[in-house]
Amino acid sequence: MPIHTFETMGTVASIRTRTATRPASLNRLESVFRRYDETFSLYRPASELSRIARREHELMNSTAGVRAAYAEAVEWRNLTAGDFTPHRPDGIIDLSGIVKALSMNEAATLLDRMSPEGWLLDVGGDILSSPSFDEPWHIGIVDPADRTGLLCSVLLEAPWRAVATSGTAERGEHVWRTDATGDFTQVTVVAGDIVTADVLATAILSGGRARLDAATADYAIDVITVGRAGELLTTPRLRSVLAAS
Amino acid sequence: MTNTTQRPRTPNRKRSSTQTNRETLVATRERARNYRSRARSADLMGILCWVSVAVSIALYLAYSGASQFTDPGGMVTAVGIVTGLAGTDLILLMLVLAARIPWIDHTVGQDRAIALHRRLGKPALYLILAHAVLLTIGYSISDGTNVIAETISFFGLGSDMILGYVGLGLLVLVVITSVITVRRHFAYEAWHLIHLLSYVAVLVALPHQLSIGGVLADGTLQRVYWIALYVAAFGSILVFRFAVPLVRTFRHRLRVEHIETIAPGVFSIRLHGSDLRRLGAEGGQYAIWRFWSWRTWWHAHPISFSAMPTDRTIRLTVRELGRGTTRISRLRAGTFVSIEGPYGIFVDQARTAPYLSVIAAGIGVTPIRAMLEHAHLRPGEATILLRGTDQSEAYLWHEIGQIAQNTSASAFSMLGPRPRHVSTWMSAHALEHGITLESTFPHLHDSDLFICGPTAWADEVVADARDAGLPEHRIHIERFDS
Amino acid sequence: MRKRAIAASIVSSSVVVLVGWQIGTHTQAAESSATLAIPAPTPSSRASASPSATPAPLATPAPPATSTTAPAPSPNAPATTNTFTGSVASTRYGNVQVQITVSGGKISDVTALQLTNDDSRSAQISNRAAPILRQEVLAAQSANVDSVSGATYTSDGYLKSLQSALDQAGL
Repeated sequence: MPIHTFETMGTVASIRTRTATRPASLNRLESVFRRYDETFSLYRPASELSRIARREHELMNSTAGVRAAYAEAVEWRNLTAGDFTPHRPDGIIDLSGIVKALSMNEAATLLDRMSPEGWLLDVGGDILSSPSFDEPWHIGIVDPADRTGLLCSVLLEAPWRAVATSGTAERGEHVWRTDATGDFTQVTVVAGDIVTADVLATAILSGGRARLDAATADYAIDVITVGRAGELLTTPRLRSVLAAS
Repeated sequence: MTNTTQRPRTPNRKRSSTQTNRETLVATRERARNYRSRARSADLMGILCWVSVAVSIALYLAYSGASQFTDPGGMVTAVGIVTGLAGTDLILLMLVLAARIPWIDHTVGQDRAIALHRRLGKPALYLILAHAVLLTIGYSISDGTNVIAETISFFGLGSDMILGYVGLGLLVLVVITSVITVRRHFAYEAWHLIHLLSYVAVLVALPHQLSIGGVLADGTLQRVYWIALYVAAFGSILVFRFAVPLVRTFRHRLRVEHIETIAPGVFSIRLHGSDLRRLGAEGGQYAIWRFWSWRTWWHAHPISFSAMPTDRTIRLTVRELGRGTTRISRLRAGTFVSIEGPYGIFVDQARTAPYLSVIAAGIGVTPIRAMLEHAHLRPGEATILLRGTDQSEAYLWHEIGQIAQNTSASAFSMLGPRPRHVSTWMSAHALEHGITLESTFPHLHDSDLFICGPTAWADEVVADARDAGLPEHRIHIERFDS
Repeated sequence: MRKRAIAASIVSSSVVVLVGWQIGTHTQAAESSATLAIPAPTPSSRASASPSATPAPLATPAPPATSTTAPAPSPNAPATTNTFTGSVASTRYGNVQVQITVSGGKISDVTALQLTNDDSRSAQISNRAAPILRQEVLAAQSANVDSVSGATYTSDGYLKSLQSALDQAGL
């Protein structure tokens, strides 16, 4: 299976396609992520978001893309009662929790054209697959206790297209916790779309058991969480799959 | 002639920019209208093709109703007659498609018409073969004889029937040689001569259709329709393949004036003639030329105009690809030249969007050169990318640069070989630096993309443009086989 | 535009064929003794042609007859109402049972009879995450997966990650 990897957004993306892709298409694909990164990264002093953070630029006057991403992030904050938030504790707007998913969404439309037979996109541990594919993809989930090993693997089958994992392990406190208890060290969400999966994984990691129950009640998602002591929780469908695959 | 010099950017700059906007709006609307009307014509063409096949089936049904479908022999016979009618209809359609009818050329372009012509070849042959086989079987069932006896009795039906078999044999020969030629085992000229036999095949098949089959019996409307179909197909061939080119050739009296080598293996031919504006050539079109010297007359060359014809002169630019083109480079001044054309929709008229993106490789620059010269371009409307392996392929680039300057177009070049083991239209260097179609053509999504170059290269660009989400009708392509 | 053209082609072609058929059946019915210019003397096929002409006149009055009787398909379906209840199917959202109501030979109503508790909350509660023992989760082999999901790693972290191993192995 052709695999293409490239660095973007401070991490690495890898793409699997059923058939070979043309390099020109891959350039175009990379440019999607580059564009999002150049606009939204707080690590880039010249990005639009950095300029907003430095008050050199007004959010109200920002480009349509920034406003749309911010609006979507705020909507998710409201839906998750603040467990997911686009604001850092110091008040700076930080859209990194949603930008990766948004850029993966945009890349998906390109990938559909590039490789209509099916594809699998992994950007720094968040996964999105083509809307249709012949055989389900096997997705491994990292064991937070031993990051070179797998906790388990799940089958990604339509209509479930996206897997996102949030954890406290790798990037430190990248998730802003709302309650100090910290029920979970890692949360994996399987959903129909990558934005839902990514945002809810972040929200559940931050909001703990209460957010987990609310999210599984409100959304067609599957979740597997790892707690402080390594204990696992999982939704019923996933339980049967996990035990069988 | 259309290259107005750049607008002065002095006091009334504002007025000129609003004027430009209005011009853009008008041009865009007109393009949209043209596009819709072409799309409607193309739809109509497709519908006509299908309906003509349906009519050939209806001809039979109108004659027999359901009566034949009751016993096995009758059924087989009925299907045999229908396949014969439908197959002949397809062949007549193929003739029409190959007739270079201006309406078809303006609507979908001659190359797409020929592509469809090729695709119909095998189905038509299979239908005609099925016609012969099924009728033989059908009649032998009904008569209670065997297939061989039935075939012999067919021959006994007279000369019309024998001619029918001759037509069948010719058809098989034509299709087989076509298939072989496509696989390049056969000289093009020889194939083309054999190909002309298909006209004969369809003509000699006509008598048995009219005299033996009941469907087209004397005094029926079916017969009138069928003969009209033949007349239309052969008439369009006679008019557009023979009469019109003859008239044009003798009206304009084209002769070679001068041949100039502009790069190793590349030469420009200047022709002179009279009243050339009446040709109505548009920039980007091509014509099929025949140079009447004793060594070159038998080979017709499709060559694009590399500049807009004036009333007295035409310029063509050719790269030597084989012995045929090499011989042209040695033509003497004064050689008589015949013309079929101009043809093609690789023209400014075919645009549908406010901006123009142009990409050409190698000798593919020639129609681009004429197209840009012909187009009315606003300042900044066009972006041009010229692609070559190295500087030696920069044919006519200085002329394109001149046009770009006159219209404030951006012109870029991309030199360098393609990367090895990777299929792309870009140079290895450009690919490494993350260049995309969008980064080259900032208005790509508001523009028509004109692509001209070698087939494999051009296909890469097309695939890339589709990837970028450019709709099919905005991709204009002229391929050069090399 | 293209789709419309295809549709138009299909419609007009069908119309042409149907018209041909109509003309054919009418002429056949009218002149069943018409001489057929079939090359070989085939009495058998001509004989078969004439009986086939008999259904044609029958077929012509038939359509008006069926259309007038259409509103009353009573012979097979008495104008009563029947309900049928399906078996219980378990879905992602709990158990569901469907009831259909048939009146006058047509399905007039479809109702979902039963969710687990007759309460829409049930679907949500049944999706609640519950503890699972590690031992219940089959240990997965990294070689058997297409990709790995984990908390976002940095570019450096990627080098040490399972994903990197998979990518390099070309799996």
